[in-house]
Amino acid sequence: MSDEVQLFITCLLDTLYPHVGQAVVRVLERAGVKVKFPPGQTCCGQPAFNAGMRLEARKMAIHTIEVFESAPGPVVVPSGSCAAMIRHSYAELFAGDEHWLPRAQTLAGRTYELTEFLVDVLQVTELGARFPGPVTYHASCHLLRELGVSRQPRALLAAVKDVFPAPDGSEQPLRFVELPRVEECCGFGGVFSVEYPQISAAMLQRKIENIEQTVAQTIVVCDAGCMTHINGGLHRKRKPQRVVHIAEVLDSGGKSR
Amino acid sequence: MSASFHERIERSLSDADLQAALDANADKRIAVRQQAFASIPDYQQRRQRAHDVRSEVIQNLDEYLAAFLRRVAENGIMVHRAANAAQAVQIVLEIARQKHARLIAKSKTMVSEEINLNHALEAQGLRVVETDLGEFIIQLRGEPPSHIITPAVHLRRAQVGETFHEKLGMPYTDSIPEMTQAARQTLRQIFLSADIGLSGVNFGVVESGALCLLTNEGNGRMVTTVPDVHIALMGIERLVPTLDDLALMLSLLPRSATGQKMTVYASLIHSPRQPGEVDGPRVRHLIVVDNGRNALRQTPLAEILYCIRCGACLNACPVFREIGGHAYVGKRGENSTYPGPVGSVLSPALFGQAEFAHLARASSLCGACREACPVDIDLPRLLLRVRAGGVNLGADQAPASAPGFLKQGLRVFGWAAVAPWRYRLAQRLAGFFSRLVSPFSPWLRLPAFTGWGFSKDFPRPAIKPFSDWMSHREKTSGDSTVQSAAKATLTPFSPDAAHQDEQFPLHAAVQQVDLVTTFKRELEALDGVFTVCQLDELGERLLALLRERNIEHILAWEQDDLPDGLLAYLIQHGIRCSHQPNADLQAGLTGALAGVAETATLLLPAGRGKPLTASLLPPLHMAVLRAEHIYPHLQAALKLPEVRLASSLAMISGPSRTADIEMTLTLGVHGPKEVHVFCVLTPASESASKMNHP
Repeated sequence: MSDEVQLFITCLLDTLYPHVGQAVVRVLERAGVKVKFPPGQTCCGQPAFNAGMRLEARKMAIHTIEVFESAPGPVVVPSGSCAAMIRHSYAELFAGDEHWLPRAQTLAGRTYELTEFLVDVLQVTELGARFPGPVTYHASCHLLRELGVSRQPRALLAAVKDVFPAPDGSEQPLRFVELPRVEECCGFGGVFSVEYPQISAAMLQRKIENIEQTVAQTIVVCDAGCMTHINGGLHRKRKPQRVVHIAEVLDSGGKSR
Repeated sequence: MSASFHERIERSLSDADLQAALDANADKRIAVRQQAFASIPDYQQRRQRAHDVRSEVIQNLDEYLAAFLRRVAENGIMVHRAANAAQAVQIVLEIARQKHARLIAKSKTMVSEEINLNHALEAQGLRVVETDLGEFIIQLRGEPPSHIITPAVHLRRAQVGETFHEKLGMPYTDSIPEMTQAARQTLRQIFLSADIGLSGVNFGVVESGALCLLTNEGNGRMVTTVPDVHIALMGIERLVPTLDDLALMLSLLPRSATGQKMTVYASLIHSPRQPGEVDGPRVRHLIVVDNGRNALRQTPLAEILYCIRCGACLNACPVFREIGGHAYVGKRGENSTYPGPVGSVLSPALFGQAEFAHLARASSLCGACREACPVDIDLPRLLLRVRAGGVNLGADQAPASAPGFLKQGLRVFGWAAVAPWRYRLAQRLAGFFSRLVSPFSPWLRLPAFTGWGFSKDFPRPAIKPFSDWMSHREKTSGDSTVQSAAKATLTPFSPDAAHQDEQFPLHAAVQQVDLVTTFKRELEALDGVFTVCQLDELGERLLALLRERNIEHILAWEQDDLPDGLLAYLIQHGIRCSHQPNADLQAGLTGALAGVAETATLLLPAGRGKPLTASLLPPLHMAVLRAEHIYPHLQAALKLPEVRLASSLAMISGPSRTADIEMTLTLGVHGPKEVHVFCVLTPASESASKMNHP
């Protein structure tokens, strides 16, 4: 294997949060890998897949497979849900398809979510980041239940230093508080949040109430969907808390390069 | 989308009583389920085994069903097969007509809800009374169940109090024990006067032809024991091959459903009343209902047939928690018999994709349902399949059930996403136009009709997407981007390896502990009383208890199945012992074939001289259990030959209980309120010869 990775930035991060994408690149580089960006990448097809529109989803999935086939090495995805789409749902989408299923599986076999890649593959947790605490963490559903990723982002956060020194002036770890009902869905669910806005809103309200039970001003996630959804609700309700992508934390206040 | 579904959702969300009830349900059920599974550390392995067992049954259902029905018929139960709801209803009506029945006492069966049986029976002038407390309450209120395990979960105690006041004429109370007592008294008369008892079946055991039925309150035992005719209704798929498989399922189902290690009553029914027996129905009928199940086996939704109806997915589902069971309705407002995640697959699968597919769209696909499922049904995958065409998935132009605006939007998005230049152009347009709409804020406030705008703002798309920055960076910096610091080598890694959580050590706990101590601890946790005594003290102990309660007349097993001389001793001290069913007696005395330590379960076979009602009708049940007849697990106890030979077998774990009103535990619903187990220690020499049984 080379020390080169292919970044699949995902449509949400690309379009809405270019600064997160930049943080992802810098974090990966600090972890010691060269980041390549296959041109022509768009969307993994999950929105159409979740809507039940498999024909459209297949087209987008095929496009994604083709884009990454021309680029060797691990594919790193900084969003749990999109990584899970490639790792698990492509097999469902191409079930019984002799031509595309093996190609989808090959891609699935080399696709990693960002924190999983950093901790399990590169075996890096210490990235020299400094961030203002206290922070909390929201366990995104697909990241947690489809990819089984939970200890990795927690290990990365545990290695971050707080920007505020301890009373004696020494460095202290980033203050972390647990979010009540951390594994409960925020109510996004892609098209669900648009088709059933009332239910989605009620679930989001619970998530916001749980966030308010903590002293944290920052909620860390590894998924662009949850980030967009929870932040949208916090902003609408004029709440001071904000959701950030874990790459923003890991990239923050890092030692100068 | 369905207008009535949306109306129901809004109604649920604005109903404060319902919201409080649903919150309490979710909080409690999730906690007790997790607690219950903590006692079986090999849960994940059991779950996979259970998945495999159900998969095997569904794949070879024709063979299993034929073998099962052959055994059931050989055991003397009348077997009927119903292809659809109408046939099932006709069979019940015909049995009722031949019996000249007027009153049917019913324990909870979801199949009867599915075929709308009560309505059909009532139309023929029959009186049908639901006897599960939760079902009884909603029947009084004229409502369908809102949960497959706890049908009245949507109600608060005050609402039940009002219903009882109005319909039963009792003074208003919100005391749960008082309401439970009122239901006990009302329903006791129903059990004793019913012409037919009608029940469901939790599992059919292929190897022995047994019908396994679980209830906590004891109503399931009542309707299958007291009336002269018993009709059991069962979906064709509810089979397990062996008693071992049954034991596996019974270690999962109650834990998943109510957080109990074992349901209070598990009946294993083999045959009608045998010659010499004094109770039990003279005739038993089994009606196996297909109603679309067999056809479903050939479709991409077949896995939903693995379901064992525990309701764990309902309790875990954040959407169910918001809207409750009554909100799950079809296009025309018809009730979805099965609500929650399982219902959102089962209803479209069995009762029509067009009518019910929208239910599968009301899910955030968070996966909490699959995580909770004790047989590991991949519910999110099935929900996605329903969305993509359900039973017709794979047919070339399976119509997506998506609403029109979404379909159009996603088609355009898909069209753009397969051609990078169109995609980049669309990104730029989004960045540009969003700045016209929202020039000063990085947030867009969308109108409510967009769905998103209902409760949240949307971030303004970037004017320059990440890909622009990245492409530019790659072009200008060439290969020099690799940082030398902290450079790590890539090691081969398989995604699946990370997916496996820590393995639990194999479960070997119970074998090593004293079985008697375990039984005692478990029984006391269920509010039962456990007394250890020597054989020669047993008579005195029983007598002391009866005298303390001023009981002089008991319903007892005959002497043959009790320790030598026990009845003679009691009679000599002024206790009358009857062996015929009698609902007026205040205490019942039984032996026990075996005990199961892990769950404090007593196994009581029916048979000559062993009235089933002795452990059912009186409010106090005294059971004599020999210490050497305590087994660690149900699986071992079910291997006793007596289990198969008995016309039926009652497995009893503590006193009758309910939690149907606000999930508040109340003891003594239909079965005994008190269970006293007298564990007899026998001298070793004597016990050796009795090891293989009473």
